[in-house]
Amino acid sequence: MIRRLGSVPVKDVRIADAAYPAPFRGGLEFSAPARGTWNIVHTGMLVPEAHEIFVCAQGCLRGVVLTAAEMGASERFSTVAVRENNVTDGDLEDSLIEGVSDILEKLPKKPPAVLVYTSCIHHFMGADLSHIYKTLRARFPEIDFTDCYMNPIMRKSGLTPDQLMRRQLYSLLHGAPKRDKTVLIAGNDFQTDDDGDFVSHLRQYGWEIYEIQRTKTYAEYQTLAGASLCLTNQLAAIPGGELLKSRFGMPHLHLPLSFDYAEIVTHYRTFCDAAGIPYPDFVALTERCEDALDAAKQAIGDAPVEIDYTVTSRPLSLARMLLSHGFRITRVYLDGISGEEWADFEALQKTSPDLCLSPTVDPVMRVRPRETGEMTLAVGQKAAYFTGSDRFVNLVENGGLYGFAAVYGMADLMRDAWQTPKDARSLIQIKGMGCSSCL
Amino acid sequence: MLKIAVYGKGGIGKSTTVSNLSAALAMRGVKVMQIGCDPKADSTALLRGPEPMKTVLDLVRERKNDFTLEDMVRTGFGGVICCEAGGPSPGTGCAGRGIIAALEKLAERGAFDTYRPDVVFYDVLGDVVCGGFTMPMRPGYAEKVFVVTSGENMSIHAAANIAMAVEGFRGRGYAEFAGLILNRRGVKNEDEKVAELAEDIHSSVIGSLSRSQTVLEAEELGRTVIEAFPESAMAQEYRLLAEAVMRAAGGNV
Repeated sequence: MIRRLGSVPVKDVRIADAAYPAPFRGGLEFSAPARGTWNIVHTGMLVPEAHEIFVCAQGCLRGVVLTAAEMGASERFSTVAVRENNVTDGDLEDSLIEGVSDILEKLPKKPPAVLVYTSCIHHFMGADLSHIYKTLRARFPEIDFTDCYMNPIMRKSGLTPDQLMRRQLYSLLHGAPKRDKTVLIAGNDFQTDDDGDFVSHLRQYGWEIYEIQRTKTYAEYQTLAGASLCLTNQLAAIPGGELLKSRFGMPHLHLPLSFDYAEIVTHYRTFCDAAGIPYPDFVALTERCEDALDAAKQAIGDAPVEIDYTVTSRPLSLARMLLSHGFRITRVYLDGISGEEWADFEALQKTSPDLCLSPTVDPVMRVRPRETGEMTLAVGQKAAYFTGSDRFVNLVENGGLYGFAAVYGMADLMRDAWQTPKDARSLIQIKGMGCSSCL
Repeated sequence: MLKIAVYGKGGIGKSTTVSNLSAALAMRGVKVMQIGCDPKADSTALLRGPEPMKTVLDLVRERKNDFTLEDMVRTGFGGVICCEAGGPSPGTGCAGRGIIAALEKLAERGAFDTYRPDVVFYDVLGDVVCGGFTMPMRPGYAEKVFVVTSGENMSIHAAANIAMAVEGFRGRGYAEFAGLILNRRGVKNEDEKVAELAEDIHSSVIGSLSRSQTVLEAEELGRTVIEAFPESAMAQEYRLLAEAVMRAAGGNV
């Protein structure tokens, strides 16, 4: 019997009843057309002057080709199409080597580094990637090659393509003389906010911030290996931090972004102790956050607020903090709950048992009415799409906020979003928000 | 640690031969690990007894990532560490991909670092039909390849193909071809035919086994000849072959 999809109610779940870490059943997935989050093309382009080569079946190349074109980076992007005969003729490896070589020979100028993205077919067929890279390195000794993956079948097993991509950003580093008082903040798409308290505090004590986004040439990028400390602040960045630690002996601190004062203070202390610098004035910073939250609350009042997971790596921490400050959080859109959010999840189950969790990838979300019946503040692009609200925080993946700035910065953005409606449709359809060369 | 892959035409007696080699070496105090790379998952049956064991791919299928190295192995006769890669049901899936996944899983779990075997045997399914079957030859896996063959034409043909595959991968730092093992089937001019093959592929016959009822009787008992009939002439042949394999692979007993 054919059943109209629209008649199927979305099974929202009260947080008190939600299973951890997967509150919703997996299956066919819908991708909301809120396209501001980055993909592996955007992230790879963070390596300055590097060239990306995707090796994949032609149909699957469409998306990455469009990404590169949309971000105006087609000249740093090439593809090698895999065809059936590469499997039947057994030349999957040779065609990759010859295809990449051909591209490099034809480029007007050889790039200093090449990111080669292999795909599912190489995984299924057991292509000998070691042999492929060894051959390419021998052919082009002046070029650094690294292995990247467009392999959706690895999405939920082992390191995900996202984790691998963020790690491989640092795989091209050769090593550099150590420089004291330098911290490499690794694995984020966005540069940490220069005006935020964390960067300001470090700079006050003579510390320099190393980040891949701050490097403009491949030579500058190579200096990242000389950082005296490595800091990661989101889960997907941990493998990158561990790589830097093992390759360059860089102490790796994983201090997740948080919206909880106690957690922020703990992480600050850990970092300052490792760096040998004094702590900032936690009382003043907390007051700054409280002031920003008060101002946001005054503006937003009791209007419903809906948050989605693309805005921050800690959506439940954000919801918990806002609820504790009187905001009316009615819904959080997420498809899974990360290990770093366990304490927030458990706390919210007790303090806000009726908080509604909604999936974003359930196909029913495709036809669910996109309105809430009252003026709603959407925090994040997917929330903006699902609520149909023009009052939304246009931010993805923390947007470079960290430290106390995560709290006061978010509060400021919420207030501004409430007071200044935006054209959500035109803004959220831009792929890779904030990517420097985006259209 | 000596890592050895044994190939050969399906049904030629690879698993029986490898199991007896493992048993013979184990009786000499060598710590052996035998990894069956065949969806049938029966490579180590003569060493570990008739009870079915979970293959690596069974574990992946049933428990995702929630299993330990100990779950993947069973200790068989003489302390031989037995492991079966497993694979899809006959006629479905991709056996080669299964071997890749299983060997990667063993490496991921640090099998060699944990058990520290002196000798590892990869007992590989039949012909080298696709990329998955070269996996045991790749760097990090076997260093030496032996092929079991009889004088039957199909077996010789398969052995030649495997030798060609090994030769084709020489430049990649894959395993080296270390020799042929003649498992006699009573074919006319059998020794001469296999010697001719060895010459053609610039290798040698490093040892041979007689066609023997003892092997069949031991199999009926679900054991290796070394265990079931240690005093038999056939057991002695396996011991001599084990020594020859070790010598050809560059190891000592």
